[in-house]
Amino acid sequence: MKNNFIFLFLTALILNGCIGDDFILDEVHPVLTITTNVDTIEIGTTFQFEAKYFDNVGQEREVLFSWFSSDESIVGIESDGLAFANELGEATITVDYNDGNNTISDSRTIVVGDYTVSSLQTVSGNIVTTSSYVLEGDFDFNETEAGVELILKDNYQASSSLPGLYVYLSNNKNSVADAYEIGGVNTFSGAHEYNITGVGFNDFQYIVYFCKPFNVKVGEGSF
Amino acid sequence: MSIMKKQLIIFISSLFVFSTSYAGGPWPQAKSKGYFKLSEWWTIFDQHFTDTGQIDPNVTTGVFNTNFYGEFGITDRFTVLLNASLFSRNYMNNLRSQTTTEIIVPGEGLNSLGDIDLGFKYGLTQAGAKIPVAISLTLGIPSGKTAGGSLENLQTGDGEFNQMLQIDAGRGFKIGNTPSYLSSYVGFNHRTNDFSEELRLGFELGLGLLNNKLWVNSKVNIVESLKNGATAATANSASIFANNTEYASIAFEANYYLTKSLGFSAGMAGAFRGEVIAARPSYTVGVFYDMK
Repeated sequence: MKNNFIFLFLTALILNGCIGDDFILDEVHPVLTITTNVDTIEIGTTFQFEAKYFDNVGQEREVLFSWFSSDESIVGIESDGLAFANELGEATITVDYNDGNNTISDSRTIVVGDYTVSSLQTVSGNIVTTSSYVLEGDFDFNETEAGVELILKDNYQASSSLPGLYVYLSNNKNSVADAYEIGGVNTFSGAHEYNITGVGFNDFQYIVYFCKPFNVKVGEGSF
Repeated sequence: MSIMKKQLIIFISSLFVFSTSYAGGPWPQAKSKGYFKLSEWWTIFDQHFTDTGQIDPNVTTGVFNTNFYGEFGITDRFTVLLNASLFSRNYMNNLRSQTTTEIIVPGEGLNSLGDIDLGFKYGLTQAGAKIPVAISLTLGIPSGKTAGGSLENLQTGDGEFNQMLQIDAGRGFKIGNTPSYLSSYVGFNHRTNDFSEELRLGFELGLGLLNNKLWVNSKVNIVESLKNGATAATANSASIFANNTEYASIAFEANYYLTKSLGFSAGMAGAFRGEVIAARPSYTVGVFYDMK
């Protein structure tokens, strides 16, 4: 009896020391987004549109898109997203994808003019904490020639008590799977910025702050 | 040595203090007498107190320590103490997507020798004093590993050599026919490697039951940080771990004598207030030998 108790106790102890599983609620709505940016296409030229599809956990998936133009006489577009600027005017380019249950799409209004114009995009927002740790501040997210820049404003502040605070760009605000790790947080108050090369303005939807050592989300911002 | 290795995962390392709630008080061992215990201490926690004292979740983390504790009387007033973590295991769970069940961040474990505390206790009063008082010095030897796993976020020791000076006072008495004792202590823990120093305070009430075959006790331990150590901001490193842990914990322990000298013990402890520390209880079981 005594030996059995000891055996059961030790077994329970050993099993408790095994690595188990924690699950996070990471389901999101799938997103289809046009990632190339152009305002005006020069008449008589072509422009290659591109899009990305992010599934129900925010991971990029290679899928077959369908491209449409609201007016083929102004902007024609082929099945691979190659657009033809046929005559002066304005048309809407749409990409869609049907996953078998739902169709999701994204659109851009395009002008056909004398020159091709692609203005750099920008968006503003604010970081909010999703934990008990202080994290807040306004930001600008700007497209640059080399990629993007994330500019945190003067009112930014973050708790310095948190171990291993990292900032990511992600398509799932509950997970950093497939996220782009910008880096560790070194500034805990005031304005600062991150210059990120090789990342497109439309590649991600969220800024996510994570406590990396403990895999815990601390805060977020949406584009 | 990097800042990361210097600084520690307080969520974990601060838990080790819960394991130091062994026999103590202002009573040194008599000359050539001793008390020895082999025990297993563990905690598994999926939430912690934040720096504002609120409770936030974290990936499930386990810490298991196999400890040897010993007190031995060199003289009637001078006792040497050793608290050694002979084997320590720290692990974190896999983090999986609930949608796809795929692993997002794989779990990892670290096994090694843990930290060792070497202590010296001196009775300031003669044996049999009405209110015995003892002073003790504990040296925290950083023999455990401070960074393991691919993220270096696992550890089996706190990586710093600390020196804690403590004074204990107490009194034995009877509640009815039940032998009892009450003791308290105050201490100052000087910590190195940019860790904040700490003030410590504690109370213990013990009762001897079943003709002194069963001793039960309850302890309250309070740790207040001076918050004079490094933080992620002052160390200018993203990898620095938190400092400035504080807590107030309560512990319960039972020691049962199977024979005159041999027995087993079981206990649990947990913080009811804290900052940057685990918010789940810890448990311990062990066997002891009391050289009476």
